Amino acid sequence: MKLTGRVAFRDIETGVWVLEGDDGRTYQLAGGDRKIKKDGQRIEVEGSVDRGALTIHMVGPVFNVATYRFL
Amino acid sequence: MMRRILANAVVALAVVATVACSFKSEQPTSTELSIGALDVTDAELVPGSIVVDFKDGTTKEQFDAWEAEWGVDLEFNSADGADDGITVAVGIDDVESALERIRQNPAVEYAEPLMQFRSSFTPNDPEYGKQWNLQMIDMPKAWDRSRGKGVVVAVLDTGIAYEDYDDFKQVPDLKGVKFVKGFDFVNDDEHANDDHGHGTHVAGTIAQATNNAEGVAGVAFEATLMPVKVLNHFGSGTSADIADAIRFAADKGAKVINMSLGGGGYSPVMASAVEYARKKGVTVVAAAGNAGRSRVEFPAAYPGAVAVSAVGPNGTRAPYSSYGKELDIAAPGGDKRGGDQNGIIQNTIDPRNPARSVYASYQGTSMATPHVAAVAALLYAAGASGPDEVEKALFAGAKRVNGQAWTDEYGHGLLNAQASLDALGGGAGGQWPPLWWALVLLAVVLLTIGRRARPGYFNLLFSPSFLVPLVLATVGAFFARSIFGGASGTAGDVVNAVSLPIPDWERIIFGRGKLANPLFYSAIIPLVLSVFAIKFCGLRSAIGGLALGFAGFLGYAAWSKAPGLSYMPFTFLAMPWLIVNAAICVFIARAMLKKESA
Repeated sequence: MKLTGRVAFRDIETGVWVLEGDDGRTYQLAGGDRKIKKDGQRIEVEGSVDRGALTIHMVGPVFNVATYRFL
Repeated sequence: MMRRILANAVVALAVVATVACSFKSEQPTSTELSIGALDVTDAELVPGSIVVDFKDGTTKEQFDAWEAEWGVDLEFNSADGADDGITVAVGIDDVESALERIRQNPAVEYAEPLMQFRSSFTPNDPEYGKQWNLQMIDMPKAWDRSRGKGVVVAVLDTGIAYEDYDDFKQVPDLKGVKFVKGFDFVNDDEHANDDHGHGTHVAGTIAQATNNAEGVAGVAFEATLMPVKVLNHFGSGTSADIADAIRFAADKGAKVINMSLGGGGYSPVMASAVEYARKKGVTVVAAAGNAGRSRVEFPAAYPGAVAVSAVGPNGTRAPYSSYGKELDIAAPGGDKRGGDQNGIIQNTIDPRNPARSVYASYQGTSMATPHVAAVAALLYAAGASGPDEVEKALFAGAKRVNGQAWTDEYGHGLLNAQASLDALGGGAGGQWPPLWWALVLLAVVLLTIGRRARPGYFNLLFSPSFLVPLVLATVGAFFARSIFGGASGTAGDVVNAVSLPIPDWERIIFGRGKLANPLFYSAIIPLVLSVFAIKFCGLRSAIGGLALGFAGFLGYAAWSKAPGLSYMPFTFLAMPWLIVNAAICVFIARAMLKKESA
């Protein structure tokens, strides 16, 4: 699936990178590469939601990034 | 003749009670204290009591001579009193004016109300002062009652830096903490070390080594930790591993399971694991989530789990904390908008180097959850029997928010360790259930007088001279308080006296708080009175009633696990003392109620 939104760092728990999606939901970012970690950057990502994952961050569903591009 | 004696006895009792009560003077209205730098927050005034320090060398003869004018009876406080001149006096009606008079005397260095100090345990961990979260849940006082000794708490997380193994190192502030063997479900081995930093922080809130002059304190620092790794080095894991781990912890003797994790959807496998643990008598505590929305994450949302939301230092829900209809309780999780000092500080590993120890300030419902798990451990150590009782005490002790019994943001309220320990068992030795009273008393009465030759059996039971002492000795004229409760002064004191059982009258005389006096909790009063009855036959049924009442009272006291008896050298003596004395009372009663006396 494809999503657009904003990359953000949240100082929750030990710190977590999220995608604030234009669909109004927050996804915990996983996968991709380290350059995706750009606070405030508009982005388009392609990948899938990992429904089975439980995390310490608990900010929203985990989104496994396959590819991305900055907007 | 008999009636006159009885009437005299009643009058005498009333007079004694009144005199006794008059010693129970009012607390001084203005408390002017001159004790300088002493911390008085945990000090309380001892009613009607003063301490006077005379100039060194003042003799007992000297102050005995002044006592008449002062209206007090001073005694040296200790054997050293003659040297240091410190004296105390009790039973003073008007403390303020007595002190006023005493201070006029040039031999007096100072005179002030007597204070009782009770200092709470204060750990010597250097960073303890930064742990606002522990103050918030009333930890210092709760530590005097329970430290979670021996209760196993399983931490299902990224692991714990609990041992030196491979390139892992135990963090210094977990040194000396007790661990039982756990499991690493991510790498399938027995070394559940932390390769992330989250689990060690969470474990620290539960049982950080405390009073070890290192780092910070933990809530239940005498509890035993079980490290169970279910989340990988990025802090995420699968429902299958977590469900396995829940069953593992329950089977290996954990009393509490802490899950500072969440996400995914409803999983029947995990739901049944939570149910399994709960049925095994395990309290399962889990985080509500950090999405800041009205939906409690799984596993917190499963029926058997205690769901925890987070508050900041000001006691309001932190903006990140999720909430919702499954929420049970709120606990400090930090709110770092105001700076790192408003997070929760514990010892953990550097996320960039698992062998390096750091003191990190984190915020999240993950931080709130272990506070609740640790207080659950305190409750188990204090005698709670299972998850139902623990939850009841947790929720009953929680501080209500906005006066509401339950809200979706705070559940039953804000966690409070001290109040929850109070709520456990409803304060034994305080208000005893009247129904049990009645049953025990009835059994004792019937067993004793049932063997008397009939008829005359019921006549005796309902004769006032038997029944009145019986009632006074056991429940007291408890109804007097509701009828005459408004009375003040001496009349009010009489009401107070007769509304207590006779064995508790000493509390009025000495005001000794919760401890009972073994002389009053014994057969002595009926025994002494029975001596008079040898001569005056008319007293016998009354003494019989009194003795039976005492037997019932003492029997109940023993059955309800004996309240604390003061002056007893060993607490284990309290139980045999009560039983033997109850038996003596029954013996006296039987002697008094022999047929020829009727």
